[in-house]
Amino acid sequence: MLKRHFPLVLVVVLVVLALLLPLLLPWSYHEIDWDAVRAPAFSGSHIFGTDEIGRDRLARLAAGTRVTLMVAIAAALVSLIVGIAWGATAGWIGGRVDEAMMRIVDGLYALPFMFIVILLMVVFGRSILLVFVGIGLVEWLTMARVVRGQVIALKQRPFVLAAEAAGTSSTAILLRHIMPNIAGVALAYLMLTVPQVVMVESFLSFLGLGVQEPLTSLGILVKEGADDMDMTPMGLALPGGLLVLILVCLTIEGERLRDRFS
Amino acid sequence: MTLYEIRNMAATIAGNRLVEDVSLIVEAGHCTAIIGASGSGKSLTCLSPFGLTPGAASGTMILDGIDLGGADSAQIRDVRRRLAGFIFQQPLTALTPHLAVGTQLQEATMQAGAARPSRRELVRKLERVGLSRADERLDQFPHRLSGGERQRVMIAAAIAHDPKLLIADEPTSALDASLRGEIMTLLDELRAETGLGLLLVSHDLASVEGHADQLVVMDKGRVVERGLASQVLASAVEDYTRRLVAATPRLQEPAPALSRPGKILLETRGLGVAFDRPGWRRGKTRALADAGIVLRQGESLAIVGGSGSGKSTLGRAIAGIGPVTEGEIFWETMLLPERRKRSLDMRRLIQPVFQDPVASLDPHWQVVDIVTEPLRNLRADLTQVERNEMARRALVDVDLAEDLLTRLPASLSGGQAQRVAIARAIVASPQLLVLDEATSALDPLVGAGILKLLARLQNENGLSLLFITHDIAAARRLCHRVAVMEGGLIVETGQMQDVIDFPRHPATQKLIAAS
Repeated sequence: MLKRHFPLVLVVVLVVLALLLPLLLPWSYHEIDWDAVRAPAFSGSHIFGTDEIGRDRLARLAAGTRVTLMVAIAAALVSLIVGIAWGATAGWIGGRVDEAMMRIVDGLYALPFMFIVILLMVVFGRSILLVFVGIGLVEWLTMARVVRGQVIALKQRPFVLAAEAAGTSSTAILLRHIMPNIAGVALAYLMLTVPQVVMVESFLSFLGLGVQEPLTSLGILVKEGADDMDMTPMGLALPGGLLVLILVCLTIEGERLRDRFS
Repeated sequence: MTLYEIRNMAATIAGNRLVEDVSLIVEAGHCTAIIGASGSGKSLTCLSPFGLTPGAASGTMILDGIDLGGADSAQIRDVRRRLAGFIFQQPLTALTPHLAVGTQLQEATMQAGAARPSRRELVRKLERVGLSRADERLDQFPHRLSGGERQRVMIAAAIAHDPKLLIADEPTSALDASLRGEIMTLLDELRAETGLGLLLVSHDLASVEGHADQLVVMDKGRVVERGLASQVLASAVEDYTRRLVAATPRLQEPAPALSRPGKILLETRGLGVAFDRPGWRRGKTRALADAGIVLRQGESLAIVGGSGSGKSTLGRAIAGIGPVTEGEIFWETMLLPERRKRSLDMRRLIQPVFQDPVASLDPHWQVVDIVTEPLRNLRADLTQVERNEMARRALVDVDLAEDLLTRLPASLSGGQAQRVAIARAIVASPQLLVLDEATSALDPLVGAGILKLLARLQNENGLSLLFITHDIAAARRLCHRVAVMEGGLIVETGQMQDVIDFPRHPATQKLIAAS
């Protein structure tokens, strides 16, 4: 189990570290150590050194991972709930309702996502909430399509017909027969949505549209590191490497789950 | 003349011996049939010597003087190329979808080194297997052909290089009932014409009866009995074979004693169902038109027809789990409304049982929850304890052990799962069961057990049955009357024995010829 799910174990370890480190480190992610600007690794109490204005890199990495994963999990959950509700309704009712609901999904898919997020940011200013809204707006679409397909396939299964003949109401069939049977597939797509959201969030932050300073995220750290990479390459390599590691691990686990359930 | 002989063959997959100690003989121009339930090792037995399974075969297997037991993979490939032809169960997946029929046939002809065949020759090959408009067919792709046509193309390709041995693995199981007889007759003709030896694999004794010269009965990877087909059928020595022969429904067997039907229970008038065409095309497809049936209390009515004849659509409309476009369904004097408008009291009267026993049970539910589901809705007056007690009694009623109550469907065998489905159907004391191919997916012995169970339930509880099937011989064991369907229409109805003795409509005649 441990060996087979090494990627998952690794992510869990990283998350635990990100949560615990603030309690252990002498520096918080926004404190400036005036005596050690651009300190190299293992200098004094700064394990990975400090950035160009003297903030502890390790503390900032932990904070960035926390924010990024928090955004990702929250947005993925929102997409799960909205996607299942929308897709299950469309698939179960079928006919014209299904047509109309899925055309709305197609329409949203066609919108230029980045453009809308940038517009939202410009109009309402930068905030974590808007990052949620922007990402959630897009990510539920795939979930809705997947769930709708599953519901339509299950609707024709004999056990659902038998439940109807047994007098079970539509709502009860949906909740007690359909939902448990799509849970596996939904979970698999949830696992795949998380790394996608991580990517989108990092991208927005990299463009300067993500969370606000001094709060940080992996995307912001990558951007700061990239600005300063000729002086201290480690500033880019650390958050960049961490981001890639998390993305790869989550994607591997997600695809494994998907293969198992579909 | 002995063409192919297997002596003491064993087949292993990943170290597991799945087939042991099999011996059989195929003579040129004759047919040897291997009969057995699913998992008895019959396919492994016939395909492993040719390297067509993941398993390895050992023993003596001599085809036309060549011992396959000691041959390496190149030699076996050479034997496959020149001496043997293969027909598989699924005609659609056995033909390459992106190649036209003519191209596949040409490839098959040239596989043993023959010169490129002319179009005339290819046409002749297709005509030989009874395909009409053969010239046109050469340019068509497999998906344009019906199941029966595809299987004929498959046969044409399998014999295109003039093999000496033809191996047919369940060649008719995936086909419509009325086509089975035709395909078997075609194989008989080809044998007589060319001296081809045929090794036939089937789970269905009835389908090889009258076609096979030799019979090999297999069970659990071993040969139970083998000998001349007529002898084995008439006087089987082994108990397993005797049970198998007894379990296989035949039209010639004596008519069963059936209970006397009572008053009229159900009547449909002008029932029709039309579905929207899929995709963007406008219009509707008529699946059922003007169906009128009458069913009395304690009576069983067989609805018999090929696939796409509308028999399941009729059953679902009556059971209230499918759409109704026009017409009326009466229960005694009460009009049964369409699908979602049926009240719980109406639901209680009619319960369905489906073909695929495993798909009929929610994989996440325990047996006890599955069986009590109708009670929770239809008998809300009962307590949980009373419901569980009724579920237990229903399980006993269908001859299942009570300890299955806590099991999940995945841990049940096909026969057990179907009995659980029947228990769910009878637990709320319905008056009519709609059985949609309820025995078709099961092995013959298991299916015969289910038929017996249904007959018993009918006698004890005065149940009426609507038995939807493609197998008129199976229906005869249970049903008083029969309605034959074709293309969405009921083309013939009558007393079971009258219809079997004097079938009037061509569709009926075909179905009877196939049994």
